[in-house]
Amino acid sequence: MTVLAWCVAAWLLGMGVYGMVTSRNYVHLIGCLSVCQSGTYVLLLGIGFRWGAGPPIFYNHPPGTPAVDPVVQALVLTDIVVGAAMTALLLAIALQVHKRRGTLDTQHLRPLRPTE
Amino acid sequence: MTQRWRLVLLIPAFLVLATAAAAIILGLPAFGHPLTHYGTAVNTLAPALRNVSNMVAAVNFDIRGIDTLGEESMLVCAVTATVILLRGHRGEDGSERAGLIPGRANAARSDGMVLMCRLFATVVFLFGVYVVLHGTITPGGGFQGGAIAASSFILLYVGGGYQPWRCVLHSPVVVGLEGFGALAFVLCAAVPLAFGYAALQNVLPLGTWKDLYSGGLMVIVNIAVGVAVTGSFGVLLIEFMEETRAPKGHDEKEGA
Amino acid sequence: MIWLIGFTLLLSAVSGALVVFSRDPKRQVYAICANGLVLALLFFVLQAPDVAFSEIAVGTVIVPLLFLITLAAVAMHKKPQ
Repeated sequence: MTVLAWCVAAWLLGMGVYGMVTSRNYVHLIGCLSVCQSGTYVLLLGIGFRWGAGPPIFYNHPPGTPAVDPVVQALVLTDIVVGAAMTALLLAIALQVHKRRGTLDTQHLRPLRPTE
Repeated sequence: MTQRWRLVLLIPAFLVLATAAAAIILGLPAFGHPLTHYGTAVNTLAPALRNVSNMVAAVNFDIRGIDTLGEESMLVCAVTATVILLRGHRGEDGSERAGLIPGRANAARSDGMVLMCRLFATVVFLFGVYVVLHGTITPGGGFQGGAIAASSFILLYVGGGYQPWRCVLHSPVVVGLEGFGALAFVLCAAVPLAFGYAALQNVLPLGTWKDLYSGGLMVIVNIAVGVAVTGSFGVLLIEFMEETRAPKGHDEKEGA
Repeated sequence: MIWLIGFTLLLSAVSGALVVFSRDPKRQVYAICANGLVLALLFFVLQAPDVAFSEIAVGTVIVPLLFLITLAAVAMHKKPQ
């Protein structure tokens, strides 16, 4: 249990990289990238977790009771929202690629050249 | 590069990655026993210093507020780039109705479903506003509430299709929301500077513990972020939906 | 508690792998939805309700929807006129 969370984070990163390398579709590749990203969420929240502690919100239990680390939660929270906007940017690029080249297959896409 | 060569190159890469990951995993502290003192210090000191009960909001909007300002500008940059990419190539050649994928049935909507979607869109939007407003007290805040409020726009499309969606959501208004929210955040950071304080310093009265107004400047920053996030995701949804319009000169009967 | 955390961690590992192994992008959208739900559950168990909120709204609604719209636009541009 002491290393399970870190192993899951590394597993998610590895799976995402494997998916990106073997992907045959640009949209599928973007989905794999989001798996990589979720690995970082698991790692960060795992670092902040403390056994027997509550959430860092002192509404029902008074300040001073043990609570988990709020700093990593703030990091993950903003990253989820910004990551979604980045995913949208990648999807827009994928749409442009499909409009210009007519394919989303990573095998058939060649380095960018100016189109006539 | 063929598929086989990619896999062959992946094997040494994974070997390196696995060694590094193993070294890092063995070096990390045991799960559930953190070594960091920053979070503990925030949990001990911030409730009395800032009169708020949600420590995540306190870190986001006050203690590490400058970081959030950076994240917010990243959000605005990403959304702007997406809009430029989508709009720039699209031009004005689309018709004013939604397109149809060839060979896909286009079922009519029942009145009950339209009504339920409109009702639930309102409820979801109000829930998003509620989450934003109570951000400094209970779980929630500008980022979550903004995303929830923006997801209510989708229900309008599900219920009514393209035309009501465009009637309700005006692109300049939503873009204005995004810009206004980001500008308000920047002003919150810059105005204390003009009076000789540090950027984002909490100069307003702190308010009451567990009250809707608790946390001083944090309340304004929270609402600004909520408005900006609602606008950002609204713009993204509008611009992506515009991509599904039918090309001009299509049969008038098509489209929903 | 220890079993709950272990179970949700393993569940998130499985759902992440499912996202990678659903090769058809149309099916992958639903895998992304499920992955978002599982991650939200994990964040909730790890005492992070704020993050779970944000993951539910963004990870299971907005991001899968953007994927769906992209796929619809790609399918419409596939046969130009």
